[in-house]
Amino acid sequence: MDRLSLNPTTSAAHELNLAQPFTGQPTGLWLLRFGRLSLLLDRRAWLASLLLLLATVVLVGLSLGSGTVKIAPLDALAALFNQGETKNIFIVRDLRLTRVLAGGMAGAALGMAGCLLQTLSRNRLANPDTIGIDNAATAFAVASVVGVSTTLAPSGMALIGAITMLSLTFALSGGAGTRGYRFLITGLGLGAICGAATNLMLARAPIDAANDAFPWTIGSLNDRSGITVSLLAWGVVILLPLAAIVGKRLNLVRLPDAVAQSLGVRVNRLRFFTILLAGSLTGLAVAVAGPVGMIGLAAPELGRRLAGPRTVPIVPSALAGACFTMLADLLGRTLFSPTEIPVGIVTALVGGPYLLWFLLRTPRGKQL
Amino acid sequence: MATTLLSRRMLIGVLAAFGLLAIVILLSLGVGSDNAIGLAQVFAVLQGAGDDQARLTVLDLRVPRTIIGVLVGVALGSAGALLQAAARNPLAEPGLLGVSAGSATAVVVSIALGASLNNLQVGVAIFGALIGCSVALGVARMSGLGDDPIRLVLAGAALSSMLAAVSSVILLTDQRTADEVRFWTIGAIAGRNLSSITSAIPVLLLGLAVALLLARPLAALALGEKVASGLGQRPKLVRTGVMISVALLVGSATAMAGPIGFVGLVVPIAARAMVGPDIRRALILAVLLGPSFVLLADVLSRIVARPTETPLGVISALIGAPILVLIVRSQRLPAL
Repeated sequence: MDRLSLNPTTSAAHELNLAQPFTGQPTGLWLLRFGRLSLLLDRRAWLASLLLLLATVVLVGLSLGSGTVKIAPLDALAALFNQGETKNIFIVRDLRLTRVLAGGMAGAALGMAGCLLQTLSRNRLANPDTIGIDNAATAFAVASVVGVSTTLAPSGMALIGAITMLSLTFALSGGAGTRGYRFLITGLGLGAICGAATNLMLARAPIDAANDAFPWTIGSLNDRSGITVSLLAWGVVILLPLAAIVGKRLNLVRLPDAVAQSLGVRVNRLRFFTILLAGSLTGLAVAVAGPVGMIGLAAPELGRRLAGPRTVPIVPSALAGACFTMLADLLGRTLFSPTEIPVGIVTALVGGPYLLWFLLRTPRGKQL
Repeated sequence: MATTLLSRRMLIGVLAAFGLLAIVILLSLGVGSDNAIGLAQVFAVLQGAGDDQARLTVLDLRVPRTIIGVLVGVALGSAGALLQAAARNPLAEPGLLGVSAGSATAVVVSIALGASLNNLQVGVAIFGALIGCSVALGVARMSGLGDDPIRLVLAGAALSSMLAAVSSVILLTDQRTADEVRFWTIGAIAGRNLSSITSAIPVLLLGLAVALLLARPLAALALGEKVASGLGQRPKLVRTGVMISVALLVGSATAMAGPIGFVGLVVPIAARAMVGPDIRRALILAVLLGPSFVLLADVLSRIVARPTETPLGVISALIGAPILVLIVRSQRLPAL
C-alpha cells in the first residue's frame, strides 16, 4: 500500500483504537514518537506547516526583492516592516507588495479550495480549476475587456462572474450530492457554456481588444487592482480558520457516511459548508489572478505528502499553494526579463507534465 | 447478429432517425440567418434554376455547410457511442474527456509552427486526438471500469484545462496564430471550404469502418472483461481499436469544424433511449442521429440571434450542458 493512500478503513481503525501503536507509517520521516499517538501526528502536520511557512517567508523575501531594482531578500523583508532605507520601503511597500500579496493569497485560496474539494470527493483530481467558477470569472472579465460597456474593472467583473456561477451551480445542482459530485459536474457543464461564450467574445472582438483580453484566459498577476487584492487577503484571513475547522470535521467524512453520522457529523450540512467555502475561496482567487491552473491540484498533494495521511492538511495546502504561486510568478518575472510571462503560463508549463504523470502513473493509492 | 439487429424496435428507431435526418437536412438547406431564400427557391436551385444570389447562397454556402454538418455529426456521434461503451461510462464524451481538446491543441501548435488553417493537416488533429484519447482511456482503465463515472470526467476536465492553458500560452505569445485560430476554436461548420475537407473524409470513413467492426467485440466487453475473454475477445486489442477509431473520428471532425463539445454526450444517450443499451444497435442509431443533432444546433445557431450567427460550439454547449446536469441530477447514474 502506498504510504500516501488514505485508505478510509485502516485510518478509521487507528482513529478508533488509540491504544494500539500505529505501525503503518514508513520510518525516517517526520514521525516523532512521544506520548500519545494523536499528538505525534499533529506534530508532523505542524512541522510541515512550519517548514512551508519558512519557505513562504523566503519566497516573499525573494519576490519582494527581485525586479528592476534588486533588493536583498532580508532587506526586502525588513522594508516590509518599515525598516531600512526609505527607497527600499517605497519600492517594497508601494510597488511590489500588492503583486506578491495577490500571488500568495490567490495561491493560498486555491490550495485550500483544492484540499477541501479533494477530501470531500475522495478524489485527487477534483480541484478548483474544474468547477466552472474560473470559466465564469474569465468570461465576465473578457466581456469587460472586449467592450461590453461597463464601468467595472475586469477583476470586479471577474468577482461578479465567480459569485454568479457559484450561486447558479448551487441552485442547479440542488446541493452537494454524494461526495460533492453533483456540484462538481454541474459546475463543469456550466463552465463549458462560459468557455464557449469566452471564445465567442474573443472571436467577435477586434484583434487588439482580443489580445488585451487573452491574459484573462490564462491567469496573470500583472497590474492587479488594490481593492480586489485586499478583498482576497481579508477573505483568506477570515476563511482560513473556518476551512481548518471544516477540515477537521471532514476527516471523519472519509469514513463511510453511516459511521460518520454515528460519530456525530451532520454529513450533508458539512458537505454544503465545504463546497460553499471552496467555492468562495476559488471565486476570490480567480477574481484577482484569473484562472491560474494546477495550483489547486498540486498544492494539496504536497500538503498531504508533508503533513502525512492523518489530518486534512488545510494549512499546509494553503501555504504550499502560496509558495507555488509566488514561485511561478517569480520565475515568470525573472526568467526572460524584461519580457514577463503571466503566472498562469508558468503553472501550465510546469504543471502539464506533472498532470500527465499524475494521470498515467501506476494506479497506486488512488483513493482518498 | 441478424436477429439482434432486426428487431421491431430497431426498425422503428432507424426509420425515425432517417425521417428526422431528412427533415433536419431540409431545414438546414432552407433556413438562413435572414428569410431571403426559402425552401422553394432551394429546390429551384437544386434543379438548376433560380437567380444568381439564390444559387450562390445555396450552392456555395448552405450545401457545403450541410455536408460538413452531416460528416461532423456522424464522426462525433459514433465516437461518443464508442467511448461510452468502451469506458462503460455514460459521461464519457470526446469533449469532456479531453480528446477534442487534445486535437485542438495539436492544431494550434501546428499553426504556431507555421502551418495554416487552409492547408491544415488532418494528421495533426488526429495525432492530438490520439494523445487525448489514450490518456482518457488510460485513466478509465486505472480507475476500475464502471467503478466511478465521475472520476473519468474529472481526469478529462483536468486534462482539458491543461491543454487549454497550453493553447492560451501559444495564443498569448503569437499574434498571427491568435488571429487565425480564434474563429476556428469556437467550433463552427459555417464558412468552411468543401475542398479543405476532402482530406478529412477518407480518414472519417476509415474511423467509422473500424467503429462498426468493433461493435460486436464491444457488446461482448459490456458483459465484463472476463466474460469477454471467455467469449474469445481480446479486451486490450478492442480498447486499442476504440482508441484509434475515436482518434480518427474526432480528429477528422475537429479538422473540419473545430472543437465541438457535447455531441458525443447527447447523441448516444438519445440512441440508447430509442433502441436500448446494446452497442451494436446504439452505434448505428448514433451514426444516424449525430448529423441530426449537429444540423439542428446549426440551424438554431442561425436563428437565435438574427441577423448574426451564433457559432455552433456555443449552441451545442447550451444544449449539452443542461443535459449533463440533468444526467448528474438523476438519482443514480445509469450504469452501462
